[in-house]
This record gives sequence, structure tokens and C-alpha cells, in this order.
Amino acid sequence: MRRPGPVGTPVVLADGRRLSGAMLRRLFVGQCLVLGLHLAWMPAWFVGLAVAVAGYRYRQLRRDLPRASLGLRLAAVGGLVLALWAEYGGLGEMAALIGLLLGVYLLKLLETHDRRDARVVVVIGLVALCVAFLHDQGVPVALAALVVLAWQVQSLAWLSGARDRRQAWGETAWMLVLSAPLMAALFLVFPRLPPLWNMPEMTRASTGLSDTIAPGDIAELSRSDARAFRVTFRGEVPPPGERYWRVYTLSHFDGVRWQRVTPPQLSATLGLPVSRFVREGRFSAWGEVTSRPRYRYELLLEPDSRPWRPSLGTPRRAASPQRFLADGTLEGREALRSRGLLRLSSSGAPPTYQDPAGPGWHSLLPAGSNPRSRALARRLWGQSDGDPDRYLQAVLARFGEAPYRYTLSPPRLDGQDRVDDFLFGTRAGYCTHYASATAVMARMAGIPARIVAGFLGGERHPDGHLTIRDYDAHAWVEVWRRGAWRRLDPTAAIAPERIERGAAAVAEGREAFLADAPFSPLRLRGIDWANRLRLSWERLEYEWQRGVIGYQGEARDRLVARLLGALEESVSALIALGPWRMMGLAALGLLGVWGGWVGLAGVCRWRPWAPNQPRRLRALQAWLARRGHPGLPGESPAHHLRRLAPRAGPAGPALLAAAAELEGLLYAPLPAGERRRRRRILARRLREIRRRWPRRGWRREARRGIVTE
Amino acid sequence: MKAPAPEAWRERLRRRWYRRLASPLGEALPQRRLFLLPTRFGLGWAALVPLLLLLGINYQNSLVHALAFWLFALGVVGLFRAWRNLLGVRLTLRRPAEIFAGGEARLGVVAHARRPRTALRVRCGGRSVQLDVRDGQGEAELPLPAPARGVLAVPTLGLESRWPLGLVRALAWQSHDIALLVWPHPVAEPAADHRPGGTGLDSGDFAGLRRFTPGDSPARLAWKQWSRTGTLATKAFEAPPRENLWLDYDACQGDPERRLSVLCGRVLAHHRAGDRYGLRLPDQLLAPGEGESHRRAALDALARCRPTERRRR
Repeated sequence: MRRPGPVGTPVVLADGRRLSGAMLRRLFVGQCLVLGLHLAWMPAWFVGLAVAVAGYRYRQLRRDLPRASLGLRLAAVGGLVLALWAEYGGLGEMAALIGLLLGVYLLKLLETHDRRDARVVVVIGLVALCVAFLHDQGVPVALAALVVLAWQVQSLAWLSGARDRRQAWGETAWMLVLSAPLMAALFLVFPRLPPLWNMPEMTRASTGLSDTIAPGDIAELSRSDARAFRVTFRGEVPPPGERYWRVYTLSHFDGVRWQRVTPPQLSATLGLPVSRFVREGRFSAWGEVTSRPRYRYELLLEPDSRPWRPSLGTPRRAASPQRFLADGTLEGREALRSRGLLRLSSSGAPPTYQDPAGPGWHSLLPAGSNPRSRALARRLWGQSDGDPDRYLQAVLARFGEAPYRYTLSPPRLDGQDRVDDFLFGTRAGYCTHYASATAVMARMAGIPARIVAGFLGGERHPDGHLTIRDYDAHAWVEVWRRGAWRRLDPTAAIAPERIERGAAAVAEGREAFLADAPFSPLRLRGIDWANRLRLSWERLEYEWQRGVIGYQGEARDRLVARLLGALEESVSALIALGPWRMMGLAALGLLGVWGGWVGLAGVCRWRPWAPNQPRRLRALQAWLARRGHPGLPGESPAHHLRRLAPRAGPAGPALLAAAAELEGLLYAPLPAGERRRRRRILARRLREIRRRWPRRGWRREARRGIVTE
Repeated sequence: MKAPAPEAWRERLRRRWYRRLASPLGEALPQRRLFLLPTRFGLGWAALVPLLLLLGINYQNSLVHALAFWLFALGVVGLFRAWRNLLGVRLTLRRPAEIFAGGEARLGVVAHARRPRTALRVRCGGRSVQLDVRDGQGEAELPLPAPARGVLAVPTLGLESRWPLGLVRALAWQSHDIALLVWPHPVAEPAADHRPGGTGLDSGDFAGLRRFTPGDSPARLAWKQWSRTGTLATKAFEAPPRENLWLDYDACQGDPERRLSVLCGRVLAHHRAGDRYGLRLPDQLLAPGEGESHRRAALDALARCRPTERRRR
């Protein structure tokens, strides 16, 4: 790193107004840092824009060309708008707006001429930094943002009159360190308000599940390792085979695909009020509560364009108001804009109450479709003597037999009778195929059935939290039997390891698994240390997301309530002490503060960390005096050392060098850096003198005049 | 009695105001006389924080919240650091050695403080200069315009700083009663009644030789003597008899200021020539003399001269 000269690089040119090249370079570096934060989500041509603007400005400064004309500036902004229009097809979208802000930030350098302009650039940079958090709020982004903030503050320090780099960065460090506690306190205590109005949204790829399944959809999910949600259990943790996360129920089958029917659609179709199908609140209004909910947990949900909320079995109670659906699933009041926390308790089992749509709705099948399956159903029903349980067992047992196999890349099905094609043709598929066939077979026998789309499994971390990823998506069947919905998972018959050990165990090595994530760290799970590294990183990430990013309304209220409670307790404890003791305690506290202050001031004055030259020198002189060579009265330390040099044998050169360094330090006008360097050299020389000082016996010889050099 | 003009009123108001606000020069800046004013940039910053907070609220984004709070906290800490940067600074002035009308008075400003201070700006009469305090002291020169001869009252000093972030301006005024004496603008005359320049070798009659002492001009060495005897000697000359010159105001022509300027030019010329000179002014009489202090006395007399007042005989 180049050491700044004694004057440093001035912020403005000689005319006292125009910014110097050094300051413009600082602004440009700030722009690059902000752009770097955005670049993962924004088009790469912004880099070209930044470089072009900086290059133009550099040429202008070097050749002393006139400023960029209004026409050029307008043309640049117009070009930016056109480019964004071409990229996003309009400016209404969030990403386009962010692009506009970034572009204006970069172009602003064209008309940055004095300190005021430079400050405006820094402020736009801070806004752009803020906006970067709309893309992502992970640990890497937060750390990078800290760097950017420090750089911008340092730029402001330069603009306010810092003379050199040391001063600017020193002040920046002080400012950041002193303001951080206040920031943290505000962050913790400031009330978290709900959104005041709707803002343009980032378009997000919908992760997780789709609400229609035709065979072929969920295989797409298995190609992705994106996180769906994370969960921490309080209390009991379900065994791997019981981690069925219900998200949607799909109750309408049109012969090809299963479809979710939303409460408004249901109420329109069946002519019932919507309140029969969905109710909002913190508690489930459906079914009578017979027992305490079995599982209590906290979900950390990834942002998604739809308001789905997974629950383990039937949701019972939520910490914040949610929409409880009559089919035993849960919805948020709105889609998540950013990661959010949700505390939930649920039963862990399918609902034990009838769906208000009625059994008839759950037995509907299009007439005349899948004739071969219908024949098979009739035959199996006959074989099982009309006992629904034995019938379902027979259906599942069929899947366990030889020609059926579980695969993530099954042959395509595109006929009208897909269940027939699957059951009698391809006989290869994954959970969707099997669930779809099972539900259709159940309905053919008149048993109310529906498909549940959700997740099964999750990776357990050493600290206990589970990560559920897109490839954990699963579909299974629920049938209405003896006054309750029963879970029926045909995949368990064909691929039991999928249930017990998760999707990754089944899919390991198959080409479709993680096909879209070639660099996923999950591919390294075979290597032990890499896997451990990944797990600890994910744990850190999880804690960050839960503690900081998820610190919204309810979490904040809880913490503030706890703080207030603690405060109240301590105040009442103080009051209980009585006035005399309280005064004593206050006096003790004051004494402690005073003592600390005095001690701190003493330490500051003593400065044990600073190389204290006079002290070391005096110590050396005392050391020499103890060896019979005291300084003469009125003799300078340098002269003392010089006088001893001819008689000191191997220590002689060190003595001479130390004297020269000392005089240089005392009398030569040196820049600070050089002074520091020389001080270090002097300290080294002083140590060398002691080391090289002749050992025992020399004194006598010296007196006799033997050692004379 | 005539009502004073609005400018005068304003001036009086400003005086009163400064008297109330300013602290005396040369003492450590007290807390009560130190003011913090937001700059325009600071107001913009203050407007930015709620905007960012709104962004954070509407997107339910924790880190945007955090950054908005951090910017707020930076503002608060900046306020404190700006205050601390100015508190306890002791300012002193150093008079410039000489000021001629039409030039600049280069007023030396020295700031003392135990802690290092950064980017202090001293304002005075529309001019300003920036200085840092390192190792207990910092100094700079403030160029004040001195347009006219006479007594120049240095305006109230303003001490301000936008350190550290430029969000606030810490501000203090320093009252004092320092007045500078501005000498007339010297006008050099074409050599009229000047004695032909008598410096150099033939400045007098040869008076003999004396022993060489180091520092003697080589031009006056007696080289012949040296080649003959081998001892180095210096030729000594007798100084010419010097008459007492009188610089008379009444002998000059033109308006009073012009006359004083001419006299000023003469004083400088005669001082350079090493002459003895006296000064006859309408209100003052300065006996002939020579040397630096005499020059200064003469120039001061010229600066203070009031040509309308006749000298009492």
C-alpha cells in the first residue's frame, strides 16, 4: 500500500472547488463496491456502464476537457432507460426500478464536480446499498454491506477535510464503533410495523410446490437444492418417517391432473359461504380440540410468491394470525416478501374432522375415463369382499410387486387416460404417479380420497434444526375412513427408503437428482470435512436468518417484553433493598465507575503498548551502570553509548548504531512513517547491545586493557 | 436627530449578537459558546433516514431497518464528535509584520488544544483558512484584505468545523479587539532629489588597512598586501558624512493620501540606503533617526496621520 505523503492527496484541486482525481477515484471505488453487491441479481452490462462513465470522467480530468454537456447527460439517462426497458420489458417491475437507481448512481459521476456533488453520490450509494438487501439478506451480503458502508463513511470523512488516509480511516472506525451500539439498541427496541402500503415486488421464482400436479411436475423440484424452509422443534422431534409436511390438498381430478381448489372456488362451486372453508386467527377453528398439539416448532420460511405455510400434520395454533383452511392446511395472510419466522403447533396427523365440501366432493371422477383402471378396481373390490381397508391394501400391495419401479426420470405420459397408461403401460414413476393412481383407485371404489402435496423429510443439522429443500417435495394420499382422514403413502410400498432416509438417499447418483445444480455444495456430502464445513456454515446462516432477519413483529415484541420484565424485576428488587442499602449500592457503583475511570486514564497515560523510547534507553543506561559503566554527569545518552563503544567488543558496532539512530530521531526532521521505522530499529539495536555485551570476566580484562578495539 | 440607516442598524444588531454569542479570543472554547447547526447535507441525511425506514417497513426487511438505524446513529455520533472536535480549542492571533494598503494582512492564526483536532476553519471578514491541530498546536495564515491606510479592526473571528461527516457545522465566534495598523501604499518616485547611489567600493575615502576578520567582503581584501607580506588585510573606508534628511509632507504634491504614499516610498528607500531621516507631517514631527525601529515608527506615524489636523506649534 502506498503511504500517503505528509499532505496526503488533496480532495479538491488547486482552485478549491473542483474535486481531485483521487477523490473521484474514491467515489468510483464506492460505486464498484455497491455494484458488486448487486451484480449477482442485476444484468452484467452495469459493469460496462460504470467503467465507461469512469473512463470518460478520467479523460476529462486529465485533458482538462469541458464538462459533460446537458445533451450527453440526457442521452445517457435515455439510453439507460431504453436498456432497462429492453431487459425487463417496462419500468414497473422492481428489478427495473433497482436498475434505474443503480444506473443513475453510476451516471451521476458525469456531473460530479464539487464536494456537494460528491456527497450526493455517497448518499445515493447508501440508498443503493439499502436496496441491495431487497435481493438477499444473507451473511455474505451483510458482511459485504459493512465494507461498503465503511467505504462510504470514509469518503465522507475525506470530503469533510481529512488530510490523509490514516485520519480518514481512523475517524471512520471511531464513527462506526461508537454508533454500532445505538444502532443495535434501536434495532432491538424500535417497534416493527406492518407494511404501510404495497410496493412493487421482486418477481421470484415460486419455489416449493405447485398447486396442480400432473405426473412430471415434482421431478422438476427434485432437480433443485434450493431451500424451502427450515425448522427448529421445541420439545419432541418426529422420527424421519413421520415428517410429513402438509402444504396443499388437491381434491379435484379432471382425468389428467389433480388440482387444488381454493376456498373461494369451493364456495362458488358448492354454493356455501367462504367462512365454511377458511377462517383467520391464531387458532384452528376446525374440529374439536381433544388433546394438546403434539409438535411445537418454529419455521423459517423462504420468500415465495404464494402464501403457503407448511405444517406437520394438522395445524392447531400459530403465534401470529393465519388463515386456517378446512382441509387442515394453513395459509399466510399474504405472500412472504422476505424470509419470515412462524411459530406453530400441530398434531402431526391428518385432520380428524370432515371436510365441509363433503365426502361426495372427494369421490368425484370424470365419467368414462381410465376404463382399464376402473375394471381393475372392480376386480380388486370383489376380491376384498367389499372391505375398503383390504381393498386399499390390495392396491398398495400391487405397487410393491415386480414390474413397478421408482424412478425420477420416468417415461412421458401424455394420453387422456394417464392412470391407465401408468398402471398397465410404463409402470415406472415417482410419488406423483403412485399417489395419483392410488387416489383414483380409491375414488373408483367410492372411498373419499385426496392428494396432499408437501414435503417429506429434511436434513437434520448437528444443532437440531432441519432443512427442507425443494427435492424433499412429496405427494401422498389421504382417505376418509372411520371418521378421520388417514394417510396413505404408496411411495412407502415401492421405495421405503425414500420415507426413512429421505429423497437424497434414493436419488443419490441418479442423473435427474440435482441436475440443475451442478455446483451445489450438497454434491460434496460424501467428503467428510467438506460436509462438516457446509453444515456449520448452514448453521451460522440459519442463526443469522432466525435471529436478525427474522427479527420482525412478534419476535421483537417477545424480546422487548422480556427486557421490560427484567427491568421491572431489577427495579422491584432494588426497592425491596430499602433506602439505606440502595444508597450504599449507589455509592459503591459510583466508586467503581470512578476507580475504573482513574485506572483507564492511568493506563492511557502510561501507554504500555507504545514503544517508549526514553524508558528503554534509561533502562539500558541503568543496565550499563550496573555493569560498571555509568554515564558521566552532564553526558548525553548518545555520547555515553559512543564513549563505551571502543571498549565494548562485539557490542561496539551496536552501540555506535544506536547512538546514531537516537540522534537522528531526536534532531532530524523526519516524516511520521520514517520516525516509526527508526524507532523500531533503535529498539532492535538496544536489544542487540544487551545481547552482544561481553559476558563475565570481560570487565576485569577491560580494566587491564586487554580488550581494546 | 437623524434616524440611523438600516445598514447601521444591522451592524449594531450584529455587534450585539456577536457580543452575546462570542467567547473571548485566547481562552479555551467553552461549552456554552459552541453551537451546532445542521448543514444542508445534514438535513438531507435526516430526511433520508425515515425514507429508508419506510422502505424497510414496507418490505419487512430487517437489514434495511438496521442500515436506517445505523445511518441515524452515525448522525448522532457525528453530532457528538463535531462538538468534541471544537470544544476546548484555544485560538490566538499573530500580527503580521508589515501591512501596506492595497495588499493583504497575513494574520497568523494559531490553535492550541491537547487532543488532535481536524479540519478547523477560521473565518474572518469573508476569508477563511483551514488548519489541523497536531501535537498540541496548529497554525495557518489568514490573508485579510487591507484596502486602505489606517487602523484596520479585525472582524470577529468565526471558528467552525464540518468534521467528521459534514452533517453538522460546529460553530463558535471569538470576540477580540485586535486592530492592525495598515501603512500607506508605497509609491516609488523616479529618483529626483535622491543622492546618487553611494554604496559599494567607493563609498568613502580610503582610511587604511585593518586585520582581516572572517566575514569581510572579498571585494575589500587587500590582495597586493597579501602577495607582499602574506598576511590577509582588509581595506577600510571612511563612512561618508551623513546629513539629516527631512521628509516633508508639505513638500509633496497631490491629495493627502498620495502625499503619504510618496512619503512612505521615500521612507522605505532611505531606510534601504541607510540614511538618517526625519518626518514632518501635518499632525506630527518625527526627529531624524535610523534603523529598523525608526522605520517602523515613521511608517506607523504615516499610517496614523490625519492630514486635516494641523500640527500645533
